[in-house]
Amino acid sequence: MRYLTFALTKGRLADKTLELLEKNGLGCKEMEDKKSRKLIFVNEEKKLKFFLAKGPDVPTYVEHGAADIGVTGKDIIMEENRNIFEVLDLGFGKCRMCVCGPEEAREKLRHHEMIRVASKYPLIAKDYFHNKKHQTVDIIKLNGSIELAPIVGLSDVIVDIVETGATLRENGLSVLEEICPLSARMVVNQVSMRLEAERIRKIINDLKEVI
Amino acid sequence: MKTNSLLHTPEGVRDIYGDELQRKISLEERLRERIRSFGYNDIETPSFEYFDIYSKEIGTTPSKEIYKFFDSENNTLALRPDFTPGVVRSAVKYFMEDELPKKLVYLGNTFSNRSDLQGKFKEVTELGVEHLGDSAVDADAEMIYMSVCILKTAGLKDFQICIGTEEYFRGLCEAAGIEREERFVLSEHIRNKNYFGMLDFIESLDIDSDIKNALSSFSDFAGDAEVLDSANELAKGIERSEEAIARLKRLYGLLRVYGVDNYVSFDLGMLSKREYYTGIVFRAYTFGTGDAIIRGGRYDNLLEKFGGNGAAIGFTVVIDELMNTLSAQHIDIAVEEKRAIVTYDSTSLSEAVELAEELRSKSIHTEMLSLDFTEEKLKERAKETHVSTLYIIKNGEREEAEL
Repeated sequence: MRYLTFALTKGRLADKTLELLEKNGLGCKEMEDKKSRKLIFVNEEKKLKFFLAKGPDVPTYVEHGAADIGVTGKDIIMEENRNIFEVLDLGFGKCRMCVCGPEEAREKLRHHEMIRVASKYPLIAKDYFHNKKHQTVDIIKLNGSIELAPIVGLSDVIVDIVETGATLRENGLSVLEEICPLSARMVVNQVSMRLEAERIRKIINDLKEVI
Repeated sequence: MKTNSLLHTPEGVRDIYGDELQRKISLEERLRERIRSFGYNDIETPSFEYFDIYSKEIGTTPSKEIYKFFDSENNTLALRPDFTPGVVRSAVKYFMEDELPKKLVYLGNTFSNRSDLQGKFKEVTELGVEHLGDSAVDADAEMIYMSVCILKTAGLKDFQICIGTEEYFRGLCEAAGIEREERFVLSEHIRNKNYFGMLDFIESLDIDSDIKNALSSFSDFAGDAEVLDSANELAKGIERSEEAIARLKRLYGLLRVYGVDNYVSFDLGMLSKREYYTGIVFRAYTFGTGDAIIRGGRYDNLLEKFGGNGAAIGFTVVIDELMNTLSAQHIDIAVEEKRAIVTYDSTSLSEAVELAEELRSKSIHTEMLSLDFTEEKLKERAKETHVSTLYIIKNGEREEAEL
């Protein structure tokens, strides 16, 4: 039997995913050792391999078939826009993609006025403003601490993930518009989905039971 | 070597040489010959054409991924991103009076200006076929059979041809009164196997509950020929969808006659992004690559766009992808070439020419080198280029060096 390879997003998402898989006996003992420097972890009994990757790289591994299955956030799937199957909503890592900014900026979203938007997700921001709101915007790509941008005057609003909204409130920002809900998703390579249909379907169905 | 920026090729294109190129040419030739063996004729169309040929309604490549430039009269030209529109245009121009079907095979490079850093090439070699003017299910069957033959000729053993149809889905949408825009959203969810997105979207539609039920079952419509029965069951009374299933069943029957039914599976959720597909769509999958290695389908409306009429079906295989797949599966590409080297000193040119021509007449590719090089270097060269015999001629005397 061929190994099925999982690409998991480093961090909390991987822990949660393994917890779920564990419930179906699909987990991986080797991965529990946090000090391990191994890159690939194996479950010999079920012929599964696992590796950890940065979130945005997961769709890349899966698209190229370097991993058969991946788990990553919906935000990343949208931003990367790769040719992969999105087969399951794992139900954890729930949050929202939102347009945020100071209250004064709310007015600027009502017209087709050109505004500046800072985001870690330029593709999602562009798609939302161009295709849904029909507003022309100037997008500035940032790599972290996006909340800073409107405070220091780099942009009018930001497009970012909102979990509780605490950081926003503390900095005098609020959610102005919601773009879409987000959560962790399971993605599958299109070739694997066909050639390993039986095994992958079983994994999907088993996971559905325990979500 | 001195560093020189002139040595680099642009992102996404590359040089191919040596063994790799030999294997590539050998593979291309064998595959093309296999298609010719079905009575297909070669066709060559220009590498660039008017941009309109590849416009949104006709082409398969988004406009922003097409290389465009202008001619002296300021017409927009495009480097071909895909063969089908050009081949169909040329067929409408030259063969429309023929009553009998036209069968064409092409081989050449296509270009797409896709984004950098994704590990994909911008120039690739494609081999493809078009079968024009035959709407019968027999033509569908021959296409699938030929795809199987191509993959077997390439040396693959373990692969699967996945067959779907646009018509079943469109029949359901039509019966439910789902508008074009909504159909696009729904087909995207189904295509990406996004089950939850699909269910949510179907729930939001105000349509008949039977059809809702059928639409939400799309993820089950993948597998062996039995899935066709369950799909048919759910579309009772919807003529267009029932017809689509009936056609797939007839196709499956024919594939059994061809003896390739064991390579075939069905997936009614394999919908294309392109509007121009009108009947079956099919793709070939194998391990060692993340994407389909053959893509094809029926597009009976395409000829109309060029003012012609008639049915059309075809497929393409990207040679570069196929080569990657073969190497991932450790399958050798046979290269049949015999080579020899003849070296000679300054007094032996006439003997050397005579020997070389004799070898060449026996189809042995013979390279001549003067004896200014050491024997060691010559042997190295012989090894690199898979030379079987190294002849050394000194003072008119011929000897064969041991390799």
